[in-house]
Amino acid sequence: MNKGLHRFALLVASATFFLIIAGALVTSHDAGLATEDWPLSNGQFFPAMVGNLFWEHGHRMVATSVGLLTIGLVIFLFWKEERRWVRRLGVVALIAVIAQGLLGGLTVKLLLPLWVSTAHATLAQLFFCTTVSLAVFTSRSWREFRTTIEEKGTLPLTYLCVAALVTILLQLVLGATLRHSATWDKHLPTELLLAHVGGAVAVALVLASAAFTILRRHPGETFLTRPATIALGLLVVQLLLGVAAYITRLKSPDDPQPLNPMVGITVAHVACGALVFATTIVMTLRAFRALRSETHAWAANTPSVSRI
Amino acid sequence: MFKPMKVWLVLTIVLSILALASSCGKPATNDATPEATTSGKPFTPGSGTIDGAIAYNGTPPAPKKVATDADPACGQANPNLTTEDTVAKDGKLANVFVYIKDGATADGTKIGDYAFSTPSDAVTLDQKGCQYRPHVLGIQANQKLRITNSDPTQHNIHPTPKNNPEWNQTQPNGAGPIEKTFARSEVLIPVKCNQHPWMKAYVGVLKHPLFAVSGENGAYSIKGLQPGTYTVAAWHEKGGPNGTEKTMQVTVPASGGGKADFAFGDAATASTTGGLQMMPALEIPLIGRH
Repeated sequence: MNKGLHRFALLVASATFFLIIAGALVTSHDAGLATEDWPLSNGQFFPAMVGNLFWEHGHRMVATSVGLLTIGLVIFLFWKEERRWVRRLGVVALIAVIAQGLLGGLTVKLLLPLWVSTAHATLAQLFFCTTVSLAVFTSRSWREFRTTIEEKGTLPLTYLCVAALVTILLQLVLGATLRHSATWDKHLPTELLLAHVGGAVAVALVLASAAFTILRRHPGETFLTRPATIALGLLVVQLLLGVAAYITRLKSPDDPQPLNPMVGITVAHVACGALVFATTIVMTLRAFRALRSETHAWAANTPSVSRI
Repeated sequence: MFKPMKVWLVLTIVLSILALASSCGKPATNDATPEATTSGKPFTPGSGTIDGAIAYNGTPPAPKKVATDADPACGQANPNLTTEDTVAKDGKLANVFVYIKDGATADGTKIGDYAFSTPSDAVTLDQKGCQYRPHVLGIQANQKLRITNSDPTQHNIHPTPKNNPEWNQTQPNGAGPIEKTFARSEVLIPVKCNQHPWMKAYVGVLKHPLFAVSGENGAYSIKGLQPGTYTVAAWHEKGGPNGTEKTMQVTVPASGGGKADFAFGDAATASTTGGLQMMPALEIPLIGRH
């Protein structure tokens, strides 16, 4: 295990989280079309950062940095990572960040069609979770995990975790569609709003089931209980932020421009959603890891365990 | 390959392909087929007018102060920058777009069957004090709209029409005017600045020149009418997701003019005077994307 590689993977994941916040700020300020061109802004790499161009071009600069960091991560992986599938995941991350950049350009050139904007927002979350996964796979706790955990109960834990992941992803798509369906000075469409609220209930039920199942079945296994506890905590925060985002967003059409607290709370809601997704990814990956150890207990004493 | 990683690989690739494929479709608003404005019986302007006043009933909402921290040049150019969605003074409402929506001249020819020549002179929309000037304007289809930037900062002009192609263009301070046309009638096209989100304007595009915008005293005057009976519509940006429109029928006699007063705000009404036929005012929220 290479500590430097793991730390770099953590850096990329952290930078990506910051990029998600930067992107959310663009949407909440309605700054997506502050400049008509791409990838430069008004023909410049360093334009005057005034008005909404501050948010849009700032987002592009952070995105460029994340792209460069991802390239660096892939190089680092091919240099130091012995597991081929992890190196391949690094390449997947690179493809995703390039696709994400192209989607960003398309949103500007096509004047923010809803589905392109939604895809851009969703791919951002998927890319973030890919970088989080790379950080997990390069971590010491993952590489050195040896404990055999016997699965209890009739419903496999991994099924619950995957169900939580899928539910969260669908909710993220709904949330992205909702955010991009109306600018700050228009009310959100009622049907989408109700669907997103319904999605929140579904996420709460499925994620809570998965997390509580972990806590109940394997109370002493911090490898599993830690991400489960964090996910539960973030879920509560996210639900509260959702209510606050709804209340502040109701009022924004009466405001002269996008203002706080609406901007801050809607951005926090997006960011916390990303953290819920990421923590659930960690929980799911570790659940698969722990169960694999049980079914492949023979591998604990063979050299090939290093492949995991 | 680790099984969950396969799931993410497939998801990422599929989503990327779907997103790129979804963007390949031609946006519906890019239909630029010009509306026929010059076919039909040539319209000869008459001496008739429809005059009126737009009232505001009740207490109008106070203008809201705009924060200009993000672009100090706006605060310097216009220290008292406020919103302009309801400009009402002494019970009179400004920035109401009044136009001939339908009707026929005295010989029975419908207004829509006339041909109207497109003016060669342009209508100017200026950006001054980080506000659009004027806030509401009318223009004929295919007539030039000249957009100027009189501010010491950069602006971005972004009309969001439904019947015309959408566009978005940056205009730095000191840049020359931008000239555009709208090929199809549309009442009204919102215009926004993506740099300064409080900036809004509305452009009414019509086949004919029979329109006016109420001034600060609420008064308006539509000139050049032939004798006939017309449906007059008055539109204001508040009161619904796409503004509020009221209509009434007005008859313009052989000599003289017609009168049509409208009212917005609380318990709003519409009225005509001078022996003209009156119909109940109708609240018709315009169907629009925004």
